[in-house]
Amino acid sequence: METRQAAIQLSQVNKYYGAYHALNNVDLTIFEGEKVVVCGPSGSGKSTMIRCINRLEEHHGGRIVVLGTELNEDLRNIEEIRRDVGMVFQHFHLFAHMTVLENCILAPMLVRKMTRSDAEAMAMRYLERVRIPEKADKFPGELSGGQQQRVAIARALCMSPKIMLFDEPTSALDPEMISEVLDVMVDLAGEGMTMVCVTHEMGFARKVADRIVFMDRGEIVEENTPDRFFENPVHERSRRFLDQILGH
Amino acid sequence: MTDLADRVPLAQQPPKPGSGRVFFGSPVNSAVSVTCLLLIGYVFWHVLDWGVMNAVWTDAGGPEACHASSGACWAIINARWRLILFGLYPFDEHWRSGLACVVVVLTAILSCLPVFWQTVRLATLWVCGFAIFYILMRGGMLGLASVPEEKWGGLSLTVFIFASGVLVGMPVAIGLALLRRSTLPVISRTTGAFIDAVRSLPLVSILFTAAVIFPFVLPPGFQGEKLYRVIVGFALFFAVYQAEIIRGGIQSIPVGQDEAAKALGLSYWQRVRMIILPQAFRYALPPTINQIVTTFKETSLVVIVGFFEIMASGNAAYGTGEWTFAYVEVYAFIAMIYFAFVFTLSRYGAYLERVMRVGQQ
Repeated sequence: METRQAAIQLSQVNKYYGAYHALNNVDLTIFEGEKVVVCGPSGSGKSTMIRCINRLEEHHGGRIVVLGTELNEDLRNIEEIRRDVGMVFQHFHLFAHMTVLENCILAPMLVRKMTRSDAEAMAMRYLERVRIPEKADKFPGELSGGQQQRVAIARALCMSPKIMLFDEPTSALDPEMISEVLDVMVDLAGEGMTMVCVTHEMGFARKVADRIVFMDRGEIVEENTPDRFFENPVHERSRRFLDQILGH
Repeated sequence: MTDLADRVPLAQQPPKPGSGRVFFGSPVNSAVSVTCLLLIGYVFWHVLDWGVMNAVWTDAGGPEACHASSGACWAIINARWRLILFGLYPFDEHWRSGLACVVVVLTAILSCLPVFWQTVRLATLWVCGFAIFYILMRGGMLGLASVPEEKWGGLSLTVFIFASGVLVGMPVAIGLALLRRSTLPVISRTTGAFIDAVRSLPLVSILFTAAVIFPFVLPPGFQGEKLYRVIVGFALFFAVYQAEIIRGGIQSIPVGQDEAAKALGLSYWQRVRMIILPQAFRYALPPTINQIVTTFKETSLVVIVGFFEIMASGNAAYGTGEWTFAYVEVYAFIAMIYFAFVFTLSRYGAYLERVMRVGQQ
């Protein structure tokens, strides 16, 4: 187990918003191919942590090493890492002025320098994988939330990332659309992608996660396997959180 | 009450009152409507009577024929239209000025077609358009007689100052808007101060400075032709206003759009080019058209630094002894030319808004 390569390494990471201490000495190592689900009450720093991994947020102390490259002010490092780290957002953030297909081929053409025909062929493959190829020429505004989120996943996959970050991908969806997005994510997990997923979908966590990371007040409170985390959480705060979200 | 109306299926609801019911529903409504119609009819009849029925259309009878009539004296347009459209441009070369004007308008129309919306194509189009305009107007090559810039005038000068002012000003505006959004306070504050400073100056004083004062303060060789100094001043004035419009457009873009582009590994300039500016211009389209229309009409201010654009040459057209009484007709004619340009611009703006809204809520 321990011979595996670390894909993401956070050591003693701190982050402040003004005086507010958003991340407090966070230590976390995620190995290649591992699926980690991050959960915790709102304001606990889950999103902040995941956004530090591709430096949408800047950290103020400690080290973050992603795929062997340390994140610092160097813009070239940052862009290099972002190429290999896909991200899916709570509110999809598809480019509103482009069609679904244009959304998918933009970065492969600009960043990976692919030709348009290669990029389009690949985009159609991924759109088929997220079961939405017929919407390729539609604009994001014409799709439902679940469809938009699946396009967003396809768009990220088109960069052939080594790591995928999911920041509450189902929280903005109507209940009947959640499963179509989760199904795609389960497929992806089955293919050996390294995944870090902030979510409250505990069924998904149980099914897919190798490890659950529970955060509260900017700290990692507990790291555990799903079985042990759900059956017998070590920490009092984890127990209270689970009672709250599973209690009804 | 409203609850009940909401629950009635649409098909069973009484039809909305038509305009007949709105305007003639009660005796008071009818009285107001009839009075207004009569008033409009009276004014319209009067204008028709003056402008068409009693008007003098040809200049065969000279100004005297107009004096004898109570109607409009369109004869002056007949007699002086070349002065109005071409200003001081040499009479025998008027075709060049007319053709040059057509070239600029054509270039503008072509660049409004989506086929040309690529950096390379637009740049080629405008470089060619302006080169042809310049060769035609300036001459001195290809067997065309040389006509110095101070002889340029009329409509082609108006169109040239407008088109080059907007064309030079737009990239400057984009640059200023991006600089003002810089995360480095030194840059954003300096840019902000610059924009506020230029915006606080009247256009007239900027044109005056460009035309009259710069030749004294700039070293020799940096002065350039007066016309181009004035265009630079004009472009600068356009740019500071347009910069704020673009900044407003950029700020209307949800922050997630830029984050998503960052997360895909796009560089700053790639994000600006593909994500930020295209969306900013969509949000900023109505005020941008507004600004361009205003700019077109502000070209008439160059008269104060001695250029005979269409307003000034119109003034000259009725300014000589025998036609001095016919200024209303000249201004009406110029107003129609302005209207043709500005109304076309506005309709094009409305078309763009429709096209860009496709597929977006």
